[in-house]
Amino acid sequence: MGIKSILIANRGEIAVRIARTCKNMGIETWGIKTSNEPRAHYLSHMDKVFDLSDEYSEILVFLDVEKLMDIAAQTKVDAIHPGYGFLAENAYFAQRCINAGIKFIGPSPDAIHKMGNKTVARQIATQHEIPLAMGTTHSIRDAEEAKKVADKIGYPVIIKAASGGGGRGMRIIHKAEELAQMFRLATNEAEKAFNDPSVFIEKYIQNPKHIEFQILADSHGNTIHLGERECSIQRKHQKLLEEAPSPALTPELRKEMGDTAIRIAQAVKYESAGTVEFLLDQSNNFFFMEMNTRIQVEHPVTEMITGLDLIEQQIRIAQGEKLSLTQDQVQLKGWAIEYRINAEDVQAGFSPYLGTIEKMSLPSGTNIRIDSGIVEGDSISPNFDSMVAKLIVWGEDRQTAIKESKKALNKFWIKGLKTTIPFFRTVLENESFNCGTFTTSFIEKELDLMHESTDEEEILAAWFATLQYINEREKEATDQVDFEQGKNINPWVLNKRLKSF
Amino acid sequence: MLLELKEKHTMRLGRSSKKELKKLIAVDSQRKKFEFPIPFTDVLKVSGKESEVVIKEDDKLGTYLLFRNKKYPVEILYKNQNRYEVLLNGVSYFFTVETPTSYKRMKFLSTKGGSKKNENLEAPMPGKIVEVLTEEGREVRAGEPLLILEAMKMQNEIQAPIAGKVRKIHVKGGQNVLKDDLMVEITAGK
Repeated sequence: MGIKSILIANRGEIAVRIARTCKNMGIETWGIKTSNEPRAHYLSHMDKVFDLSDEYSEILVFLDVEKLMDIAAQTKVDAIHPGYGFLAENAYFAQRCINAGIKFIGPSPDAIHKMGNKTVARQIATQHEIPLAMGTTHSIRDAEEAKKVADKIGYPVIIKAASGGGGRGMRIIHKAEELAQMFRLATNEAEKAFNDPSVFIEKYIQNPKHIEFQILADSHGNTIHLGERECSIQRKHQKLLEEAPSPALTPELRKEMGDTAIRIAQAVKYESAGTVEFLLDQSNNFFFMEMNTRIQVEHPVTEMITGLDLIEQQIRIAQGEKLSLTQDQVQLKGWAIEYRINAEDVQAGFSPYLGTIEKMSLPSGTNIRIDSGIVEGDSISPNFDSMVAKLIVWGEDRQTAIKESKKALNKFWIKGLKTTIPFFRTVLENESFNCGTFTTSFIEKELDLMHESTDEEEILAAWFATLQYINEREKEATDQVDFEQGKNINPWVLNKRLKSF
Repeated sequence: MLLELKEKHTMRLGRSSKKELKKLIAVDSQRKKFEFPIPFTDVLKVSGKESEVVIKEDDKLGTYLLFRNKKYPVEILYKNQNRYEVLLNGVSYFFTVETPTSYKRMKFLSTKGGSKKNENLEAPMPGKIVEVLTEEGREVRAGEPLLILEAMKMQNEIQAPIAGKVRKIHVKGGQNVLKDDLMVEITAGK
């Protein structure tokens, strides 16, 4: 049965992204207006808007299963697209949709549950002989047990939240002394973020590359992969830059890892689009890390090199269609890089930079794509993530993509906020990035400065500050500039004061 | 506020002074100085060559500097008296603008202030204090964790920037902090 209307249970750029595909497919979209951001840009992309802006509730509607089921019933939609984050990987929500006769655009609740719980996923991987980093396939009770396991597999180890994802609830431990405190931090964070304090331990693979495979699987038993994405440029396990394909993979390795990814997906009878994440060590051994049972933030790079629309694929799979292509028909063309333009202060440890976008001017061109849910005048608030936009640049090869990226980043102007753009400029100049040998330790190992700055730029900034100073002083004293105002003191007094220091 | 570069200025040191101001000095956070002669001009000498800076105002782009055919978006993010944070091409630069006299005084004071620098630890980002790991009066090593700050759904360990003694703790577990809120004061050790 064809889907005629979709409730988009999300906000921001991904809501805009889903609405765009729906429009192309002639599907009616419903968006939800919240009291947090009643004038949000994503709403203007919806055919219809369900207005909740007068309702103040403790829990955000995109996390509220009951409320969403109620809205779905009232709007009589055929399907719900959860986007990413919020309830996208919530098996209970998926089940509730099915119970209500509404299609959940994503995999089955069973697959979400199995892959969502990392210890269950590890057990399944073990059963199917998928390579895994050494570690536990059950959750660890306390710091004492953690220490026993860590002693056995050897340091460094990593503690991960069983219900984790997106880099949260993870701690790396290099020495036994750090274990007790790190265990506490990890369980605290896991409890807060996922309502589940359980954690497990894995051998920490040093300086790996983060390689993930995009999977598509239909309800007729066909599963294919659309090649890999490399997401090694991260800080605190959060991705900042992703590219497809990876400079590290040979066609043979791609096939081997891709086949492994398909096997994992098939092990849980996966349907829809999904992502299998691996770590690749320096000897080209790969280890299954986790499977994300949703559309990913970085899906556009795969779309750019395959020419496919992954949201469309998700919708077609959800309405029971067979995949329109086989593995042999998948062609990877050119190179795509995505930059997450976040409102962050890269000069202050990537801390969130809250503020209002006064002006924004974007690059454009046939090989440039920008996915954004924000327009001029919008604010970055502490309620949501700090993403301003995703810039995706395509080139015939990696070198061209890098060259075009530099141009595009120079044309990406934002006033009123600090963003990650200066960070990307310095990444693009970095040698290990350019030759493709970078790993997830890139930021700690390869960069001294998190931003690019030339002598010329610093002189210009100094000049501008000085000019500002002169103009202000002139305003203060229109007749005569008084640089020493309030500072004229008797030399005797001055001398005495200086001595007292 | 629209900035303009007026015709070349002649300036005096103060209302009472007859002495002409010869230059202004912008000093960055690493004490690097940039001297600009007065009268202030729009011609800058960079890597041995002189070129003109033009301030442009554009409806779409806002204010930017045009220098050697390159555009540099620019804005003042923060100012306080003679301190400026200039955001140029997305990067912040911190300057204090000094006259030759105030520069001398600043230098003198900073050498007097001396090597034993105490540290006031401020919140690097808005968030919530999860746990305080130290106590007042305790000797700490540089890099020793002092407290855990949760921000943007991550728990961050805040470490002692220097070795010394915890003089005062201004926060407690469960408390929310804003960016730049004072959290811990440390007196520098030997």
